[in-house]
Amino acid sequence: MKNKVYLVILIFCICPFIPYAQEQKMSESEIVIFKQVVREVSRKIKTLSTDFVQYKHLDFLSKDIESSGKMVFMEPDLLQWQYIKPYNYSIIFKSGKILINDEGKKSAVDVGNSKIFGKINKLIIGSISGDLFDDEEFAIFYYKNKNNTITKFIPKDTNLLKYIKQIELTFDKDDATVIQVKLFESSEDFTRIVLKNKVLNAKINDSIFNN
Amino acid sequence: MRKLTTLYLIISSFLVLVLSSCSTLNVVKDYKSVNLETTKFEVPYFSNPEIDYVYKANITVYGNELSGIFITKKINDTIHRVVFTTEFGNKLLDFEISETNFKINFIVDALDRKILINTLITDFRLLLRKNYVVKKQFENNEYKVFMTEDGKINNYLFILKLDNTLRKIIYATKRKEKINLTITSENNSFATKISIQHYNIKLRIELNYLQTQ
Repeated sequence: MKNKVYLVILIFCICPFIPYAQEQKMSESEIVIFKQVVREVSRKIKTLSTDFVQYKHLDFLSKDIESSGKMVFMEPDLLQWQYIKPYNYSIIFKSGKILINDEGKKSAVDVGNSKIFGKINKLIIGSISGDLFDDEEFAIFYYKNKNNTITKFIPKDTNLLKYIKQIELTFDKDDATVIQVKLFESSEDFTRIVLKNKVLNAKINDSIFNN
Repeated sequence: MRKLTTLYLIISSFLVLVLSSCSTLNVVKDYKSVNLETTKFEVPYFSNPEIDYVYKANITVYGNELSGIFITKKINDTIHRVVFTTEFGNKLLDFEISETNFKINFIVDALDRKILINTLITDFRLLLRKNYVVKKQFENNEYKVFMTEDGKINNYLFILKLDNTLRKIIYATKRKEKINLTITSENNSFATKISIQHYNIKLRIELNYLQTQ
Protein backbone atom coordinates (compact mmCIF):
# COMPACT_ATOMS: atom_id res chain seq x y z
CA MET A 1 0.00 0.00 0.00
CA LYS A 2 2.85 2.35 0.85
CA ASN A 3 4.32 1.96 -2.61
CA LYS A 4 1.01 2.56 -4.20
CA VAL A 5 0.48 5.70 -2.17
CA TYR A 6 3.89 7.01 -3.14
CA LEU A 7 3.19 6.25 -6.75
CA VAL A 8 -0.09 8.01 -6.54
CA ILE A 9 1.65 11.04 -5.10
CA LEU A 10 3.34 11.42 -8.39
CA ILE A 11 0.25 11.26 -10.40
CA PHE A 12 -1.05 14.61 -11.41
CA CYS A 13 -4.50 15.54 -12.54
CA ILE A 14 -6.62 17.31 -15.14
CA CYS A 15 -9.92 18.00 -16.91
CA PRO A 16 -11.65 18.90 -20.10
CA PHE A 17 -11.08 22.52 -20.80
CA ILE A 18 -12.51 25.37 -22.45
CA PRO A 19 -9.79 27.33 -24.20
CA TYR A 20 -9.30 30.88 -22.99
CA ALA A 21 -11.01 33.46 -25.10
CA GLN A 22 -7.75 34.82 -26.45
CA GLU A 23 -6.40 31.37 -27.27
CA GLN A 24 -6.40 30.29 -30.87
CA LYS A 25 -5.99 26.82 -32.26
CA MET A 26 -2.70 26.33 -34.05
CA SER A 27 -2.69 25.26 -37.66
CA GLU A 28 -1.27 21.86 -38.68
CA SER A 29 1.85 23.45 -40.14
CA GLU A 30 2.38 25.57 -36.98
CA ILE A 31 2.09 22.42 -34.87
CA VAL A 32 4.72 20.60 -36.93
CA ILE A 33 7.20 23.48 -36.60
CA PHE A 34 6.44 23.97 -32.88
CA LYS A 35 7.02 20.28 -32.06
CA GLN A 36 10.24 20.29 -34.02
CA VAL A 37 11.57 23.34 -32.14
CA VAL A 38 10.59 21.96 -28.72
CA ARG A 39 12.19 18.60 -29.47
CA GLU A 40 15.35 20.35 -30.61
CA VAL A 41 15.51 22.45 -27.41
CA SER A 42 14.66 19.44 -25.26
CA ARG A 43 17.36 17.32 -26.94
CA LYS A 44 20.00 19.87 -26.00
CA ILE A 45 19.05 19.79 -22.31
CA LYS A 46 21.76 17.95 -20.37
CA THR A 47 20.90 19.59 -17.06
CA LEU A 48 18.15 21.93 -16.02
CA SER A 49 17.60 23.73 -12.75
CA THR A 50 14.75 26.05 -11.98
CA ASP A 51 12.90 27.70 -9.13
CA PHE A 52 9.21 27.06 -8.97
CA VAL A 53 6.11 28.38 -7.26
CA GLN A 54 3.23 25.98 -6.87
CA TYR A 55 -0.38 27.13 -6.49
CA LYS A 56 -2.85 24.50 -5.38
CA HIS A 57 -6.30 25.60 -6.40
CA LEU A 58 -9.24 23.98 -4.67
CA ASP A 59 -12.49 25.56 -5.61
CA PHE A 60 -13.90 25.72 -2.07
CA LEU A 61 -10.89 27.59 -0.65
CA SER A 62 -10.71 31.37 -0.60
CA LYS A 63 -7.02 31.40 -1.60
CA ASP A 64 -4.73 29.09 -3.51
CA ILE A 65 -2.22 27.21 -1.34
CA GLU A 66 1.21 28.47 -2.27
CA SER A 67 4.48 26.57 -1.92
CA SER A 68 7.85 27.05 -3.57
CA GLY A 69 11.24 25.48 -4.09
CA LYS A 70 13.78 24.24 -6.62
CA MET A 71 13.83 21.53 -9.24
CA VAL A 72 16.94 19.99 -10.76
CA PHE A 73 17.03 17.57 -13.70
CA MET A 74 20.05 15.73 -15.08
CA GLU A 75 19.75 13.49 -18.10
CA PRO A 76 18.79 10.80 -18.67
CA ASP A 77 16.43 10.45 -15.69
CA LEU A 78 17.70 12.03 -12.47
CA LEU A 79 15.25 14.44 -10.93
CA GLN A 80 15.15 16.29 -7.64
CA TRP A 81 12.01 18.15 -6.63
CA GLN A 82 12.59 20.21 -3.49
CA TYR A 83 10.04 22.27 -1.56
CA ILE A 84 11.59 24.96 0.63
CA LYS A 85 8.51 26.96 1.66
CA PRO A 86 6.37 26.53 3.70
CA TYR A 87 7.96 23.16 4.48
CA ASN A 88 11.20 21.32 3.71
CA TYR A 89 10.40 18.31 1.62
CA SER A 90 12.34 16.79 -1.23
CA ILE A 91 11.78 13.86 -3.52
CA ILE A 92 14.43 12.36 -5.78
CA PHE A 93 13.80 10.02 -8.70
CA LYS A 94 16.85 7.90 -9.27
CA SER A 95 17.39 4.53 -10.96
CA GLY A 96 14.05 3.01 -10.11
CA LYS A 97 14.02 4.50 -6.62
CA ILE A 98 12.15 7.34 -5.01
CA LEU A 99 14.11 9.00 -2.19
CA ILE A 100 12.16 11.20 0.18
CA ASN A 101 13.43 13.69 2.74
CA ASP A 102 10.59 15.05 4.86
CA GLU A 103 11.97 17.72 7.22
CA GLY A 104 15.10 15.56 7.73
CA LYS A 105 13.18 12.30 7.96
CA LYS A 106 14.57 10.16 5.15
CA SER A 107 12.96 7.23 3.38
CA ALA A 108 13.26 5.33 0.12
CA VAL A 109 10.80 3.43 -2.01
CA ASP A 110 12.04 0.90 -4.53
CA VAL A 111 9.80 1.05 -7.56
CA GLY A 112 12.05 -1.22 -9.64
CA ASN A 113 10.94 -1.65 -13.20
CA SER A 114 7.38 -0.60 -12.46
CA LYS A 115 5.68 0.30 -15.72
CA ILE A 116 3.61 2.99 -14.06
CA PHE A 117 6.69 4.53 -12.46
CA GLY A 118 8.32 4.68 -15.89
CA LYS A 119 5.27 6.47 -17.21
CA ILE A 120 5.17 8.94 -14.35
CA ASN A 121 8.88 9.68 -14.56
CA LYS A 122 8.53 10.32 -18.27
CA LEU A 123 5.51 12.49 -17.59
CA ILE A 124 7.28 14.69 -15.05
CA ILE A 125 10.47 15.06 -17.04
CA GLY A 126 8.45 15.60 -20.21
CA SER A 127 6.42 18.29 -18.45
CA ILE A 128 9.52 20.19 -17.47
CA SER A 129 11.48 19.76 -20.69
CA GLY A 130 8.38 20.16 -22.84
CA ASP A 131 8.80 16.99 -24.85
CA LEU A 132 5.60 15.19 -23.99
CA PHE A 133 4.37 14.70 -27.52
CA ASP A 134 3.39 11.07 -27.35
CA ASP A 135 0.23 10.64 -29.38
CA GLU A 136 -0.22 7.09 -28.15
CA GLU A 137 -0.39 8.23 -24.51
CA PHE A 138 -2.26 11.50 -24.94
CA ALA A 139 -4.80 13.28 -27.06
CA ILE A 140 -2.93 16.54 -27.66
CA PHE A 141 -4.36 19.96 -28.48
CA TYR A 142 -2.33 23.01 -29.48
CA TYR A 143 -3.22 26.65 -28.89
CA LYS A 144 -1.40 29.95 -29.09
CA ASN A 145 -1.90 33.43 -27.73
CA LYS A 146 0.13 36.63 -27.99
CA ASN A 147 3.09 35.48 -25.88
CA ASN A 148 2.80 31.76 -25.44
CA THR A 149 2.07 28.40 -26.93
CA ILE A 150 -0.21 26.23 -24.85
CA THR A 151 -0.43 22.47 -25.22
CA LYS A 152 -3.11 20.38 -23.57
CA PHE A 153 -2.65 16.67 -23.00
CA ILE A 154 -5.50 14.33 -22.15
CA PRO A 155 -4.31 10.86 -21.06
CA LYS A 156 -5.64 7.90 -23.02
CA ASP A 157 -4.85 5.45 -20.21
CA THR A 158 -8.05 5.13 -18.17
CA ASN A 159 -6.09 4.45 -14.96
CA LEU A 160 -4.09 7.63 -15.37
CA LEU A 161 -7.23 9.51 -16.35
CA LYS A 162 -8.73 8.79 -12.93
CA TYR A 163 -6.07 11.05 -11.39
CA ILE A 164 -5.12 13.36 -14.22
CA LYS A 165 -7.85 14.76 -16.36
CA GLN A 166 -5.52 17.04 -18.26
CA ILE A 167 -2.01 18.44 -18.31
CA GLU A 168 -1.48 21.89 -19.69
CA LEU A 169 2.01 23.11 -20.59
CA THR A 170 2.64 26.76 -21.37
CA PHE A 171 5.73 27.51 -23.47
CA ASP A 172 7.56 30.77 -23.84
CA LYS A 173 7.29 31.70 -27.49
CA ASP A 174 10.86 33.01 -27.61
CA ASP A 175 12.87 30.08 -26.29
CA ALA A 176 10.33 27.23 -26.54
CA THR A 177 10.83 26.18 -22.91
CA VAL A 178 8.07 25.39 -20.41
CA ILE A 179 7.15 28.28 -18.12
CA GLN A 180 4.03 26.83 -16.52
CA VAL A 181 2.60 23.38 -15.82
CA LYS A 182 -1.06 23.02 -14.93
CA LEU A 183 -2.41 19.68 -13.74
CA PHE A 184 -6.17 19.33 -13.61
CA GLU A 185 -7.79 16.87 -11.21
CA SER A 186 -11.27 18.00 -12.13
CA SER A 187 -12.84 20.99 -13.79
CA GLU A 188 -12.59 22.93 -10.51
CA ASP A 189 -9.38 21.74 -8.89
CA PHE A 190 -5.88 21.97 -10.28
CA THR A 191 -2.21 22.46 -9.43
CA ARG A 192 -0.41 25.28 -11.23
CA ILE A 193 3.39 25.28 -11.19
CA VAL A 194 5.21 28.36 -12.44
CA LEU A 195 8.87 27.81 -13.39
CA LYS A 196 11.22 30.75 -12.87
CA ASN A 197 14.96 31.47 -13.15
CA LYS A 198 15.57 28.49 -15.37
CA VAL A 199 19.23 27.58 -16.00
CA LEU A 200 20.08 25.14 -18.80
CA ASN A 201 23.16 22.93 -18.96
CA ALA A 202 24.99 24.35 -15.96
CA LYS A 203 27.36 21.95 -14.22
CA ILE A 204 25.49 20.13 -11.46
CA ASN A 205 27.12 18.01 -8.82
CA ASP A 206 25.28 14.70 -8.98
CA SER A 207 25.63 14.26 -5.20
CA ILE A 208 22.45 16.35 -4.91
CA PHE A 209 20.61 13.26 -6.10
CA ASN A 210 21.58 11.42 -2.91
CA ASN A 211 19.26 11.55 0.05
CA MET B 1 -38.46 -12.31 50.93
CA ARG B 2 -38.27 -8.72 52.05
CA LYS B 3 -34.77 -9.35 53.32
CA LEU B 4 -33.79 -10.74 49.93
CA THR B 5 -35.17 -7.71 48.11
CA THR B 6 -33.28 -5.41 50.43
CA LEU B 7 -30.08 -7.37 49.87
CA TYR B 8 -30.61 -7.29 46.13
CA LEU B 9 -31.13 -3.53 46.25
CA ILE B 10 -27.99 -3.01 48.28
CA ILE B 11 -25.91 -5.14 45.91
CA SER B 12 -27.41 -3.40 42.88
CA SER B 13 -26.73 0.03 44.32
CA PHE B 14 -23.21 -1.00 45.12
CA LEU B 15 -22.69 -2.35 41.58
CA VAL B 16 -24.10 0.80 40.00
CA LEU B 17 -21.82 2.88 42.16
CA VAL B 18 -18.75 0.81 41.30
CA LEU B 19 -19.55 0.63 37.57
CA SER B 20 -20.39 4.29 37.25
CA SER B 21 -17.20 5.26 39.01
CA CYS B 22 -15.26 2.85 36.74
CA SER B 23 -16.72 4.56 33.70
CA THR B 24 -15.00 7.80 34.46
CA LEU B 25 -12.26 6.63 36.74
CA ASN B 26 -9.60 5.78 34.16
CA VAL B 27 -9.58 9.07 32.34
CA VAL B 28 -10.08 11.38 35.30
CA LYS B 29 -8.95 9.21 38.18
CA ASP B 30 -6.72 11.93 39.61
CA TYR B 31 -9.37 14.60 39.22
CA LYS B 32 -12.12 15.51 41.65
CA SER B 33 -15.74 15.73 40.63
CA VAL B 34 -17.18 19.25 40.86
CA ASN B 35 -20.48 20.97 40.11
CA LEU B 36 -21.20 21.80 36.49
CA GLU B 37 -20.31 25.38 35.63
CA THR B 38 -21.90 25.04 32.19
CA THR B 39 -23.96 22.54 30.24
CA LYS B 40 -22.67 23.60 26.84
CA PHE B 41 -19.16 23.86 25.47
CA GLU B 42 -18.18 25.33 22.14
CA VAL B 43 -14.86 24.41 20.49
CA PRO B 44 -13.41 27.50 18.83
CA TYR B 45 -11.06 25.77 16.38
CA PHE B 46 -11.98 25.10 12.71
CA SER B 47 -15.24 26.99 13.03
CA ASN B 48 -14.53 30.19 11.10
CA PRO B 49 -15.98 29.85 7.57
CA GLU B 50 -13.67 32.64 6.40
CA ILE B 51 -10.50 30.67 7.12
CA ASP B 52 -8.80 28.05 4.95
CA TYR B 53 -7.20 25.73 7.51
CA VAL B 54 -4.05 24.21 5.95
CA TYR B 55 -1.72 21.79 7.79
CA LYS B 56 1.25 19.59 7.02
CA ALA B 57 0.14 16.08 7.94
CA ASN B 58 2.35 13.22 9.10
CA ILE B 59 0.68 9.88 9.61
CA THR B 60 2.26 6.85 11.22
CA VAL B 61 0.23 3.71 10.73
CA TYR B 62 1.58 0.33 11.85
CA GLY B 63 5.16 1.52 11.34
CA ASN B 64 4.54 3.02 7.89
CA GLU B 65 4.88 6.75 7.51
CA LEU B 66 2.88 8.88 5.16
CA SER B 67 2.86 12.61 4.75
CA GLY B 68 0.89 15.19 2.91
CA ILE B 69 -1.22 18.30 3.24
CA PHE B 70 -4.44 18.42 5.25
CA ILE B 71 -6.90 21.11 4.25
CA THR B 72 -10.27 21.87 5.78
CA LYS B 73 -12.85 24.59 5.60
CA LYS B 74 -16.28 25.08 7.07
CA ILE B 75 -18.54 25.32 4.02
CA ASN B 76 -21.88 25.84 5.78
CA ASP B 77 -23.40 25.71 9.29
CA THR B 78 -22.91 21.99 9.72
CA ILE B 79 -20.47 20.73 7.07
CA HIS B 80 -16.67 20.83 6.75
CA ARG B 81 -14.96 20.01 3.48
CA VAL B 82 -11.76 18.05 4.08
CA VAL B 83 -9.05 17.38 1.51
CA PHE B 84 -5.83 15.43 1.94
CA THR B 85 -3.23 15.91 -0.80
CA THR B 86 0.38 14.93 -1.35
CA GLU B 87 3.08 17.59 -1.09
CA PHE B 88 2.90 17.75 -4.89
CA GLY B 89 -0.66 18.88 -4.57
CA ASN B 90 -2.51 15.94 -6.03
CA LYS B 91 -5.56 14.84 -4.11
CA LEU B 92 -5.62 11.59 -2.21
CA LEU B 93 -8.89 12.12 -0.42
CA ASP B 94 -11.70 14.67 -0.61
CA PHE B 95 -14.79 14.44 1.57
CA GLU B 96 -17.53 16.40 3.32
CA ILE B 97 -18.28 15.69 6.95
CA SER B 98 -20.82 16.81 9.54
CA GLU B 99 -21.87 15.36 12.88
CA THR B 100 -24.39 13.14 11.12
CA ASN B 101 -23.33 12.85 7.49
CA PHE B 102 -20.29 11.86 5.46
CA LYS B 103 -19.83 12.09 1.71
CA ILE B 104 -16.74 11.13 -0.29
CA ASN B 105 -16.06 13.32 -3.32
CA PHE B 106 -12.84 11.55 -4.29
CA ILE B 107 -10.55 8.85 -2.94
CA VAL B 108 -7.55 7.16 -4.55
CA ASP B 109 -7.88 3.39 -4.90
CA ALA B 110 -5.05 2.71 -2.43
CA LEU B 111 -6.96 4.43 0.39
CA ASP B 112 -10.42 3.17 -0.48
CA ARG B 113 -10.74 0.80 2.46
CA LYS B 114 -13.79 0.72 4.71
CA ILE B 115 -11.82 0.36 7.94
CA LEU B 116 -9.61 3.33 7.05
CA ILE B 117 -12.58 5.47 6.04
CA ASN B 118 -14.45 4.68 9.26
CA THR B 119 -11.38 5.58 11.31
CA LEU B 120 -11.05 8.88 9.50
CA ILE B 121 -14.74 9.66 10.03
CA THR B 122 -14.32 9.20 13.79
CA ASP B 123 -11.09 11.21 13.91
CA PHE B 124 -12.30 14.14 11.88
CA ARG B 125 -15.69 14.31 13.57
CA LEU B 126 -13.79 14.57 16.83
CA LEU B 127 -11.43 17.19 15.41
CA LEU B 128 -14.06 19.34 13.71
CA ARG B 129 -16.96 19.08 16.14
CA LYS B 130 -18.04 22.42 17.54
CA ASN B 131 -20.76 21.84 20.13
CA TYR B 132 -20.79 19.59 23.17
CA VAL B 133 -23.37 19.08 25.91
CA VAL B 134 -21.55 18.76 29.22
CA LYS B 135 -22.82 16.07 31.61
CA LYS B 136 -20.14 16.02 34.30
CA GLN B 137 -17.25 18.16 35.38
CA PHE B 138 -13.96 17.35 37.06
CA GLU B 139 -10.86 19.29 37.91
CA ASN B 140 -7.36 19.30 39.31
CA ASN B 141 -5.02 22.24 39.90
CA GLU B 142 -4.15 22.60 36.24
CA TYR B 143 -7.19 21.50 34.24
CA LYS B 144 -10.93 21.42 34.36
CA VAL B 145 -12.50 18.52 32.49
CA PHE B 146 -15.92 18.53 30.83
CA MET B 147 -17.36 15.08 30.24
CA THR B 148 -19.92 14.56 27.49
CA GLU B 149 -22.00 11.51 26.66
CA ASP B 150 -22.78 10.20 23.21
CA GLY B 151 -24.40 6.79 23.51
CA LYS B 152 -21.57 4.39 24.35
CA ILE B 153 -18.94 7.09 23.94
CA ASN B 154 -17.76 9.67 26.42
CA ASN B 155 -15.64 12.61 25.40
CA TYR B 156 -13.46 14.33 27.99
CA LEU B 157 -12.52 17.89 27.15
CA PHE B 158 -9.47 19.16 29.06
CA ILE B 159 -9.43 22.92 29.51
CA LEU B 160 -6.21 24.50 30.77
CA LYS B 161 -7.22 26.74 33.67
CA LEU B 162 -4.34 29.14 33.08
CA ASP B 163 -5.68 30.47 29.78
CA ASN B 164 -9.04 28.73 29.54
CA THR B 165 -8.12 26.93 26.31
CA LEU B 166 -9.09 23.45 25.16
CA ARG B 167 -5.87 21.40 25.12
CA LYS B 168 -6.97 17.81 24.92
CA ILE B 169 -9.94 15.62 24.03
CA ILE B 170 -10.10 12.00 25.11
CA TYR B 171 -12.57 9.83 23.23
CA ALA B 172 -13.42 6.81 25.33
CA THR B 173 -15.89 4.03 25.85
CA LYS B 174 -17.18 3.43 29.37
CA ARG B 175 -14.13 1.28 30.03
CA LYS B 176 -11.35 2.29 27.70
CA GLU B 177 -9.62 5.28 26.17
CA LYS B 178 -9.72 5.03 22.37
CA ILE B 179 -8.34 8.29 21.02
CA ASN B 180 -6.29 11.07 22.53
CA LEU B 181 -6.40 14.35 20.63
CA THR B 182 -4.06 17.10 21.81
CA ILE B 183 -4.09 20.68 20.63
CA THR B 184 -1.66 23.57 20.77
CA SER B 185 -3.48 26.80 20.09
CA GLU B 186 -2.96 30.46 19.46
CA ASN B 187 -5.29 32.93 21.18
CA ASN B 188 -7.79 30.14 21.84
CA SER B 189 -9.11 30.54 18.30
CA PHE B 190 -6.63 28.75 16.12
CA ALA B 191 -5.00 25.34 16.44
CA THR B 192 -1.34 25.43 15.39
CA LYS B 193 -0.50 21.83 16.20
CA ILE B 194 -2.71 18.79 16.60
CA SER B 195 -1.90 15.24 17.43
CA ILE B 196 -4.39 12.37 17.18
CA GLN B 197 -3.19 9.22 18.90
CA HIS B 198 -5.19 5.99 18.71
CA TYR B 199 -4.92 3.38 21.46
CA ASN B 200 -6.69 0.41 19.88
CA ILE B 201 -4.83 0.62 16.54
CA LYS B 202 -1.28 1.74 15.81
CA LEU B 203 -2.20 5.05 14.26
CA ARG B 204 -0.95 8.55 14.95
CA ILE B 205 -1.81 11.66 12.97
CA GLU B 206 0.10 14.90 13.45
CA LEU B 207 -0.97 18.17 11.92
CA ASN B 208 1.18 21.30 11.89
CA TYR B 209 -0.28 24.56 10.65
CA LEU B 210 1.25 25.87 7.42
CA GLN B 211 1.73 29.55 6.84
CA THR B 212 1.30 29.31 3.08
CA GLN B 213 1.55 32.97 2.14
